[in-house]
Amino acid sequence: MAVKKIKTIYDVLCPFCGTLCDDLEVDIADNKVVEVRNACQIGTKKFYSSNPNEHRYETPMIKKNGKLERASWEEAIDKAADILANAKRPLLYGFSSTECEAQSKGVELAEILGGVLDNTASVCHGPSLLAKQDVGQPGATLGEFKNRADLVIFWGSNPVHAHPRHLSRYSEFVRGYFRKDGRNDRYIVVVDPRNTHTAQIADLYIQVNPSEDYELLNAIRAVLRGVELDEKEVSGVSMEKIKELVNTMKTCSYGVIFFGMGLTQSLSHHRNIDAAICLTRELNDHTKFSIIPMRGHYNVAGANQVFTWNTGYAYSIDFSRGYARYNPGEFSSVEVLLKDQVDASLIVASDPASNFPAASVKNLFKHPLIVIDPHESPTTVYADIVLPAAIAGIEAEGTAYRMDNVPLRLRKVKDAPGECLTDKIILEKLIEKVKEKRGE
Amino acid sequence: MSEIKLKLKKETEIPLEAESITPDNFAGKSINEIKKLVVYYGREELTIGDFFNVTGKSEEKDDLIISINGNLSNVKRIGENMSGGEIIINGDVGMHVGNQMSGGKIQVNGNADDWAGAMLKGGELEITGDAGNYVGSAYRGFWKGMTNGVIKVKGKIGVEAMLWASGSVPAKRLPTLICGSAGSFLGIHNHGGTIIVEGDVDRCAGADQIKGIIVIKGKAPKILPSFKKIGEVKEIELFNGEKITGKFIEYAGDHSVKKNHSTVSKKTGELNKSVNGRLYIAA
Amino acid sequence: MSLDNLILLTGRTIDQGVALEGGKTTKENVRAAAICMFDTDDFKKLDTLVGTPVKIITDHGEVIVYSILSEEGPHPGIIFIPMGPWANQLVNPDSQSCGTPTYKGMKAKVEVVKSGKVLDALDLIKTLKEA
Repeated sequence: MAVKKIKTIYDVLCPFCGTLCDDLEVDIADNKVVEVRNACQIGTKKFYSSNPNEHRYETPMIKKNGKLERASWEEAIDKAADILANAKRPLLYGFSSTECEAQSKGVELAEILGGVLDNTASVCHGPSLLAKQDVGQPGATLGEFKNRADLVIFWGSNPVHAHPRHLSRYSEFVRGYFRKDGRNDRYIVVVDPRNTHTAQIADLYIQVNPSEDYELLNAIRAVLRGVELDEKEVSGVSMEKIKELVNTMKTCSYGVIFFGMGLTQSLSHHRNIDAAICLTRELNDHTKFSIIPMRGHYNVAGANQVFTWNTGYAYSIDFSRGYARYNPGEFSSVEVLLKDQVDASLIVASDPASNFPAASVKNLFKHPLIVIDPHESPTTVYADIVLPAAIAGIEAEGTAYRMDNVPLRLRKVKDAPGECLTDKIILEKLIEKVKEKRGE
Repeated sequence: MSEIKLKLKKETEIPLEAESITPDNFAGKSINEIKKLVVYYGREELTIGDFFNVTGKSEEKDDLIISINGNLSNVKRIGENMSGGEIIINGDVGMHVGNQMSGGKIQVNGNADDWAGAMLKGGELEITGDAGNYVGSAYRGFWKGMTNGVIKVKGKIGVEAMLWASGSVPAKRLPTLICGSAGSFLGIHNHGGTIIVEGDVDRCAGADQIKGIIVIKGKAPKILPSFKKIGEVKEIELFNGEKITGKFIEYAGDHSVKKNHSTVSKKTGELNKSVNGRLYIAA
Repeated sequence: MSLDNLILLTGRTIDQGVALEGGKTTKENVRAAAICMFDTDDFKKLDTLVGTPVKIITDHGEVIVYSILSEEGPHPGIIFIPMGPWANQLVNPDSQSCGTPTYKGMKAKVEVVKSGKVLDALDLIKTLKEA
């Protein structure tokens, strides 16, 4: 058997979670991923699943007689542009699992169409952005935390599962400039209703009642200001424990709160973050403290950046007047679908059928649905048109923003199979065709 | 006194944005001119005449009454920025009704959707049914919400009503909200607003309140831990000098806010309860 | 048997992350995401075997998933379903006008089912498409 020539590519970015690990090594032979080193379980799987498999789309697909059938790019783009150009109020959603250059094209298309533009922050850290707009955010980059933080608080986030290498790269086990002994130089606190795997390796675990984080944050803030509270227990946490936590916070030399979906997706949403940010701000009277959201998708932070520099707003944007307007709850995708206020959808690198509440998903399928995605998903299977994409960060280059808003360059390690094109090129083709149909 | 009557021809599928419906825009215009005023439907720019039957006569703004009939629950922004006159809406109305209005009156004989009376600067908004979330609130990112005027809602209102309300007694700006019952985070970041709830409220009323008065005549499930009980009162004096009598428990707060004046004295170690916001709950 | 007054939380698990990257329409994804994790003591009250399909009911919908014991307990009164189409049949779509639905903290009820089976992702979404 002939030995295949293996090419190793170093310093590859992992296009899965917001940690955006940049130290992967990928072995490629015959345009296939044969080995991935340094990545977590999920990242490794993502690289392997770029190899040819039955879940990958390699040509454009158009629904004919209730079934997706192969079509030419020309036909698919023409049909997709037709749907979009004729829609009164199309929804453009997704964008968080692709590169910034494609996101920028998405903004351009939405503006031309006069549609609703949204990214996945809408269902994850949108509340964090809302809170940030209300009360600001004392933040820093991950390197600061790695080198300085001696108190690390994970609030409503479970990085062992959701950001598997975060702990070893930035927050828990890693050795830093001032934290030479790694884990032993840090005090780890986890606040969560469940004794998560992250909590199980923490120094202090605070079990808070579900959906009562706001009250706990409120009590912590009051105690920090020296107010003696009347309660013996807040949100299932004893006053002694609250005082212990406040004392730990005040006496650390650099603290950081990493917060996750536990705060943004439970009742009170952005108000939880509002209170957590105010707490962080007030802690800076005593010591140095920062707060940062644990972003999910590898480039959702980038989507917020790109949307903001193009339109002024990070997500939930309406272009129906020709200029950008912003109001989550009015223009956010889950809401416009729930109220059935759109008449066509273009989904880019996302799977709302799996990730939106059932009531919104029902209305998604009522109107024409176009999906740009490399893989089969419940959204693509029931779509009207599927445009096959190269996987950004594996089969296409581009820029992505880490959870701390540091831009990094995604690398291309292999070619896309079949007729797949990059998200950017597909969107450019759509823009061109829509303009043509509108007679511009 | 003159009156313009609008009647919705047919319910729309996607929201219609009709901020042109105000006495300011209608004043002194003929029926045909009013019919030509712009409304937005998706990405299309259409006119009032495309969606409404228009009858009546229009003269001076302040003497003008606009009455609108039909199910307007998908019509947004009626009465935006209005400064005088009156709008009477018979039926449910969509988002942003009367937002940023500075004078005049809007009467909704039905329910209103979110952002009713958002960032109100003056005038009166009365809703006989229920209202959605963010009644009289600040829009996203604004640190000054409702600065003056009165909102009355007979039924229940949603969450985060009167967000970032900003009142001032010396400047005679007294933003006031009166409602039947309220959802969570009523009067959050309150900075001088007056809120009177005839019935019950949900959790976290008065969160981050720096100054202001919240009176709850019904029940509150659990008040925030950072509120300190002061005692029982029989009479509450509001910012406008009016008095409410009845048995109430008085709380001071929110003591978790740094900007608050409720500091702990370095000399005595005691908490200054006297100068910040008040929450009264029926005893 | 059934259990009342539980609180449902949803979220990422590493198995679910791996499975969805491997293919959203695969059996692996069903095994990783069509599951409900119980507190050990709560599960005893159900009086059934681990792995038995259970029906989870909230005010917003219902779905049948496999039962397993939680490794991240004890969390009495709380059940956990990994994020995905199964969990999303149950979550509260109301965002209180902030745009983000309430994916965590719904009141839930659990029943051991006598009939009915765990649907795969495509069949589950099909029921929504046809509704």
